[in-house]
Amino acid sequence: MAQERTDEELLAAYQQGDPRSFEDLLLRHRAPLFTFLLRMLGNRERAEDLAQETFLRIVKGAQAWEHRARFQTWLFTIARNLCVDQSRRDRFRRADSLDAEGPGDEPPMVDSVPGQEIDPSRGAESALLRPVLQRALLSLPTEQREVFVLREQAGVPFREIAEMVGVNENTVKSRMRYALEGLRKALAAAGVSEETAAEEPAPGVRLGRA
Amino acid sequence: MTHAESQDLLLDLAYGELDAQRAAEVASHVEGCAECRKEKAALEETRRMAAPLRELEEPSPGFDDRILAAARAQAQLEHDGNVGQVIEVTGSVRPLGLEAARVDAHGPVKARPTRRDRPRWVVRAALGGSAAAAAALALVVGNTMEARRNAEKAKAARSEEYAIRPQTAPQSLDSALRDAEAKRDADHLETLRMKTAQPPAPPPAALEKEKVAQLRAPEHKTLKKARTKYASEGSGGELPKIALGDAPALPPENDVTRGQARAPNAPASAEVASAAPSAAGSGSAQAPGRVAEASTESAKSARDERVDAVPAAPTRGRPAEVGVAVSPGFAAGGVEASAQQARHAGNYALAASLYRNAADLRQRAKDVGGAAWNLAHAVECLSAAGQFDEARRVRDELARTYPSETTALSAARRALREVDPPSAAPVQENP
Repeated sequence: MAQERTDEELLAAYQQGDPRSFEDLLLRHRAPLFTFLLRMLGNRERAEDLAQETFLRIVKGAQAWEHRARFQTWLFTIARNLCVDQSRRDRFRRADSLDAEGPGDEPPMVDSVPGQEIDPSRGAESALLRPVLQRALLSLPTEQREVFVLREQAGVPFREIAEMVGVNENTVKSRMRYALEGLRKALAAAGVSEETAAEEPAPGVRLGRA
Repeated sequence: MTHAESQDLLLDLAYGELDAQRAAEVASHVEGCAECRKEKAALEETRRMAAPLRELEEPSPGFDDRILAAARAQAQLEHDGNVGQVIEVTGSVRPLGLEAARVDAHGPVKARPTRRDRPRWVVRAALGGSAAAAAALALVVGNTMEARRNAEKAKAARSEEYAIRPQTAPQSLDSALRDAEAKRDADHLETLRMKTAQPPAPPPAALEKEKVAQLRAPEHKTLKKARTKYASEGSGGELPKIALGDAPALPPENDVTRGQARAPNAPASAEVASAAPSAAGSGSAQAPGRVAEASTESAKSARDERVDAVPAAPTRGRPAEVGVAVSPGFAAGGVEASAQQARHAGNYALAASLYRNAADLRQRAKDVGGAAWNLAHAVECLSAAGQFDEARRVRDELARTYPSETTALSAARRALREVDPPSAAPVQENP
């Protein structure tokens, strides 16, 4: 009977001093936000750190929040900005590591802990394929990756992505096309096609960075 | 529906962003168009292959704890009518608002008893605004409420021994956020350190504890030396000063509290004997007070609250070394350097706060251009830190205070345009 409250209603209740509402919000958005950051960064620990920071920023800004845009947009905008920041640093670091010799070279930031990705409830092939997909995703430029992940995984409409990213909707869609095309190529290079997608990918498949 | 239109809308179709009528139009075009059909098929195939990326993943257990603790603490704060960081004051102190403010002298401080029936007198002093304070402290004085009432008229003014200890519980939002940011810095700096022959960064563990102080590490030794020299000579030379009291030659003891207040990890035993009762303000518990400021400088703008993230004096626990006066212009140079350092380290929140302090100093040095640019940098850094509201406030302040500095202003506007959160989203678009 009780209709599920919207994010914005929950946040308003939190503003009124009800911490339970925030708990509901967190529960609702925790996994999507974490997954978004995980896809963007390819690293579980960092994704968790940034997800936590994102929510802390929400807590901090909650009181001043006004219902001008959706809560979800706000949440992902913060996360996205943290992510862009992180990517800049990583790029800097990678550039740095090119000069360094030997063991300083870092592997791509993909969790490769065996078993970690495997969730029996989801089917083994999907679990095995995911690291390959993740690497393909990481080979995309950040601005394409974020559009792809926001639309594909987080389910944010193009228009809202445009607002988050600060470009117009046409640019967002063209980034999305590039992203899909890039992903397709990267997957083909990794030997993944729709036919093989159901099979176990060759072990040690690694993708070069674009 | 033209081919071009259809091409344009294939993505919208695939992601279900078209209303039924439009979707039908596109679909009917696609049916008769080989090119669109091919494109649509490719698009769908890629999406099918990428499907595992859509599956939700859960963060590790315990992920919520800190967030919820922060959320609860914040809700309680808001509910009590306070915004910002808590200072808990227990005990009997006459002008209490002032004494609370003494602990951290920036920002409008509201001090009042929360529960009158409690045996101990608890005061929450909120350090205004989201710029927030660097540390939450508890002032503990061992008197009861009753004693306080009796003492209020005469005795209390004399019972002014404070034990200051940091708030250790991690439920403080700002400390949690700082930790999160410090962790990012630490991660980042550690990697940098590993990559370079001469490590530019301190070890991450130390950094997490004292990132602010560490960021200024290169300067500490000199500063400390200079301060010692200053103290022994007892003269007010031109010394770079971190804590931004920037009042003329303030006796170091008077600035005690600021250094203490900023040091989240100050030893629990740190004792501060308060200075003589301030002549300044009323004893009203509601009186906003900024005592250390008030005692040195009568009127400061509300912008004071931003002093919060000024690097902790490296010699925390040794109050006498905290405050050293210099000319604003000179100090600004040092603060700007620190700001730049923090910015390059990716610590935008800290950098923003430093830039704002530098702007104040430039303003006092009558350097309007420098002040305006520092504010513009602050806007950039706040934007980079995702603190858009704050960024907008600073931008407005910049526009208001330095309307003639158009270049700085447009830099600030540019920074915000990039990251400005969506404004009122137009729900309907007129074709």
